[in-house]
Amino acid sequence: MTTNGDPATRSGAPTVAARTGSPDVAETPPGTTADGLPAALTGLRAAIGAARFPLALPSAEPARRTASALADQLDDYLLPRLARLDAPLLVVVGGSTGAGKSTLVNSLVQARVSAAGVLRPTTRSPVLVCNPADSTWFRQGELLPGLTRTTEPTEDPRTLHLVTAPALPAGLAFLDAPDIDSVVDANRALAGQLLAAADLWLFVTTAARYADAVPWELLRSARARGAAIAMVLDRVPPEAADEVAAHLSEMLAAQDLGAAPLFVLPETWVDGQGLLPDKVTAPLSAWFARLAADAEARAAVVRQTLDGALASLHPTVEALAEAADEQVAAADALDERVRAAYRGAQRTVEDGLVDGRLLRGEVLARWQEFVGTGEFFRTLEARVGRLRDRVVAAMTGRPATSAAELRNAIESQLVTLLRGVSSEAAEHAYTAWKAHPAGAALLEPGLAHPSDDLPERAERLVRDWQRGVLDLVRAEGGDRRFVARTAAYAVNATGLAVMIAVFASTAFIPTGLEVATGAGTTVAAQAVLQAIFGDQAVRTLANKARTDLLERVRALLDEEAARYLTRTDEARPGADAGAELRRAAGRVEVARHRSGLADGDGPGLPAPTGGRR
Amino acid sequence: MTGIVGRMRAAFRGDQRVDADDLVARLDAVRRFLHAVDGQVPDSRLVTAHTLVERAGTRLALSRDHTVVALAGATGSGKSSLFNALAQLDLSPVGVRRPTTGVAHGCVWGPLDGATRLLDWVGVLPRHRFVRESALDADDETVLHGLVLLDLPDFDSVQRSHRLEVDRLLGLVDLVVWVVDPQKYADRVIHASYLREFQRHRDVTLVVLNQADRLSPAELPRVLDDLRRLLDADGLDGVPLLATTAVDQAGMTGLREALERAVAERQAALRRLSGDVDTVVAGLGELVDTDVPRNAPDEDTVGSLDRALAGAAGVPAVAGAVEGAYRHRAGATTGWPVVRGWRRLRPDPLRRLHLPGPAVEADQPAESLVAATSVPDPTTAQRSALGLAIRAVADRAGADLPAPWPDAVTTAARSRLDDLPDALDHAIAGTDLGMNRRPLWWRLVGGVQWLVTLAALAGLGWLLLGYGLRVLGLPAPEYPRVGEVPLPTLLLLGGLLAGLLVAAVTRPVIRWAARRARQRAEKHLTAAVAEVGDRYVRTPVRAVLDRYGQARDALRDAAR
Repeated sequence: MTTNGDPATRSGAPTVAARTGSPDVAETPPGTTADGLPAALTGLRAAIGAARFPLALPSAEPARRTASALADQLDDYLLPRLARLDAPLLVVVGGSTGAGKSTLVNSLVQARVSAAGVLRPTTRSPVLVCNPADSTWFRQGELLPGLTRTTEPTEDPRTLHLVTAPALPAGLAFLDAPDIDSVVDANRALAGQLLAAADLWLFVTTAARYADAVPWELLRSARARGAAIAMVLDRVPPEAADEVAAHLSEMLAAQDLGAAPLFVLPETWVDGQGLLPDKVTAPLSAWFARLAADAEARAAVVRQTLDGALASLHPTVEALAEAADEQVAAADALDERVRAAYRGAQRTVEDGLVDGRLLRGEVLARWQEFVGTGEFFRTLEARVGRLRDRVVAAMTGRPATSAAELRNAIESQLVTLLRGVSSEAAEHAYTAWKAHPAGAALLEPGLAHPSDDLPERAERLVRDWQRGVLDLVRAEGGDRRFVARTAAYAVNATGLAVMIAVFASTAFIPTGLEVATGAGTTVAAQAVLQAIFGDQAVRTLANKARTDLLERVRALLDEEAARYLTRTDEARPGADAGAELRRAAGRVEVARHRSGLADGDGPGLPAPTGGRR
Repeated sequence: MTGIVGRMRAAFRGDQRVDADDLVARLDAVRRFLHAVDGQVPDSRLVTAHTLVERAGTRLALSRDHTVVALAGATGSGKSSLFNALAQLDLSPVGVRRPTTGVAHGCVWGPLDGATRLLDWVGVLPRHRFVRESALDADDETVLHGLVLLDLPDFDSVQRSHRLEVDRLLGLVDLVVWVVDPQKYADRVIHASYLREFQRHRDVTLVVLNQADRLSPAELPRVLDDLRRLLDADGLDGVPLLATTAVDQAGMTGLREALERAVAERQAALRRLSGDVDTVVAGLGELVDTDVPRNAPDEDTVGSLDRALAGAAGVPAVAGAVEGAYRHRAGATTGWPVVRGWRRLRPDPLRRLHLPGPAVEADQPAESLVAATSVPDPTTAQRSALGLAIRAVADRAGADLPAPWPDAVTTAARSRLDDLPDALDHAIAGTDLGMNRRPLWWRLVGGVQWLVTLAALAGLGWLLLGYGLRVLGLPAPEYPRVGEVPLPTLLLLGGLLAGLLVAAVTRPVIRWAARRARQRAEKHLTAAVAEVGDRYVRTPVRAVLDRYGQARDALRDAAR
């Protein structure tokens, strides 16, 4: 076994094709190099584990899959492999269902280690074959830690059946993976996970299948990951061998996989033990024998795949980071839609108060009842005394019905307004989210309506506010004169007048329409108030009362909006998952360059002898 | 129990004949459904139904004597070999290079003419059409007369275009023979993307395990059993499953017989379309899966809508004005004539609202109807109340309906919201407030008032006359006396007193009558406003509910 960066490895590795290296880091002294890498990878693993993609964006599902595949790859392969670079070379035999993977593995190790058969898919749980000398390493379970080791064949896909075969040279192990394209979905997922843990892919296809779309997708991903690949074209009718092999070579070259060794195995009958005749597997066995014998070549293969996998981390993680950023951006956009809807509601309430028109209708009628008839404003000054008597009588003598009615009128008008705007805002927010793919997934029917207890909460709000206004009137009585006058009218009546003023603050100067429609009493209210309090005090009181009311309304609407906003919180797990991912990937990239894995000068795969290229 | 019944039915279904008229009626029902839901349901959910209606119409118009059979399967399963073996000619290219067949090939048994238009529609190029003339052969080929056999491209190779072509063709053919082989029979793409989609076409689906010669006699039954298990899992239980080999004719007998039967029955096209209708109906079922709501929206909701509309239309304000106007006008007619004049200085409350005054000439009512009123704009709160009420109507009406319908109901309820203010204004302006007549008793009281005032005036005049005569030193006339009181004095004082008394007595009566007038006006106004609500809110809602009902009925008809 060699350590990475050993000059002997570099000179001794067989050269098939040029590989990219980093000349500037090639000078880094070996031995001190790989230390940073496991730490950087662990950091990346944590960052990936922390990333969440809960919003149903187009990028979310691929990102979730990529994240889990990356995490698996780190756990199953990269971290254990980096910890022991001299561990046996793991050849994962993968391919379509019915391609003859199990038969091939059995024939290569000269023993029936994996069940072969005509029923598809045959292999459900992976089988690992190694030399008895290597079995301790695989049994330790550092590699593919998620799979339970067994020594008995099982059907459970979460187990790894370990078999030792003395015929297999030490330093080489075969893993018979389930298929990649059968109806059994678990097989496909498992095969992907196993292939990601391979030092060398032995990809098996057949004359009938070599143009299938599914395996090619997998091959493309392998190429992107820089994995070492060897192809086996199995079950080829002898008469078609040349044509099919040539076509497949063309296709491989077109996919930039021309460097992968290609072995063609003819369609034949298995012997009594279910093994292929020696003659058929000879080129492949010989090739593997050479690989097993040449420790340097093996190490080069491991380094190639490892480096390829590490190099592919950066773009993959970048994609993840982008998806994470998109999640945050989408969550922000969704939040903004909700906030806009509720801001609109708040504005409607503010407008409703500012333009004073809320005062009309019932409130106005009650106010009229309360202060007397609408006529009094013409002779206001003269009648203030009478008015005061009336008010005082109303407030102190008998429990005045008109005052209670006035307060109720204000309450019911405000409650209606609040209910209206919250229901409108809820609907706007709902529609806005519905138009957004991620938003639509978060919705549930109840959100289209305000919360069930909103009417009660709104009533409570208005009552609290009214109480607050009365307190305010009491508290504002710092001025002696003011106190005296307030006392004369009773706090209750003054409070009501202030409430009226809140609705009518712009109506200090009556609009033409108001005069025309007999709403001149709005003016009367102001006039009465000013007669009681003086201009400035009314303004102060009304402003405070209005601010208080708007504060309460904002709190109520915020609570309503929170029903939506809590749903997007999940999308922001950390402060900045995307940046965290990028930082971790950057550290891995730096560590990779330092480690010297990248400066091997050729892939370790020997050229096939007797097979064809 | 039902499982067994279902399987029995499925098993017998193969022999069940599909009546062409029945199928046409069902297609018509689908068409009615599409018409009813047009604009209410997003088009994306109706694509399959539209496609079906169009496709079925065309297929039924084309030759029903031909049966279009497609050989579909993965690349390398031997579709073309099977095609050539059935035709007993080398028509479709066979090879080891994958994928081999890129375009559909067609072979017609019997004369080509009837099938030409069918093949045009299916989209098989003329250079890929072949004719299997029976003249060349023995009589055994005549039983296949009317068969149009298509060799489809693969659907699982790297050539994406092949898959698109297959997807297109599979929608058009009458009967599909799925060709699988021992290597590929468990591939995901065959089962998940294709076979499962044909659940409702079991009677026009055939599965053959080709290249059976590559399995040993002992293995073949096991593979067939396994394949049957997979087909059952796909929902294709009961579909015929045959083993074939293209290398010798004996391996094809089963398939040939099945095709002969299908051709002889002339049912495949109808069954296929019937299965399509089943698929479409099942896919659309959830759009109309609850009953039409009866007497929705309910009284409470309508009541609150009417109240909200009344508030928004200013009914209370107008009613108040009516009361005021009644008092005003009654006062003007029945008040004490001495002070009646200064009452006129005050404006009539109804006139201020621009509503018809008391003295509208009979020939000008139209003008007063169209004139906009000056009823105060609804306040924010009233607007909110109106919005809530309309929403409540829509919510109640659409409460039990499936997915897109509640939205449609809400949209319908609001569809005329913009016209509502004007309509309400119109309704208010056009309502008879009962203020155009002067009640008789006003005039009577007015007459009495005048009478007593005249009496008082006469008394005054008389007294003044006597006073004048006395001033001039002329002998004053002797006043007739009533008891001790001279008549002119009695007339003057009595007249004045009587006038005041009448005014005082009629005042509460007027107030009471004004309240009555207010209530009457309120009743009329509310009725008018409710009618507006009915026309502008509930009618559109009912229209949507009607369409829902139609759609539901149509789909039930289509489901037969």
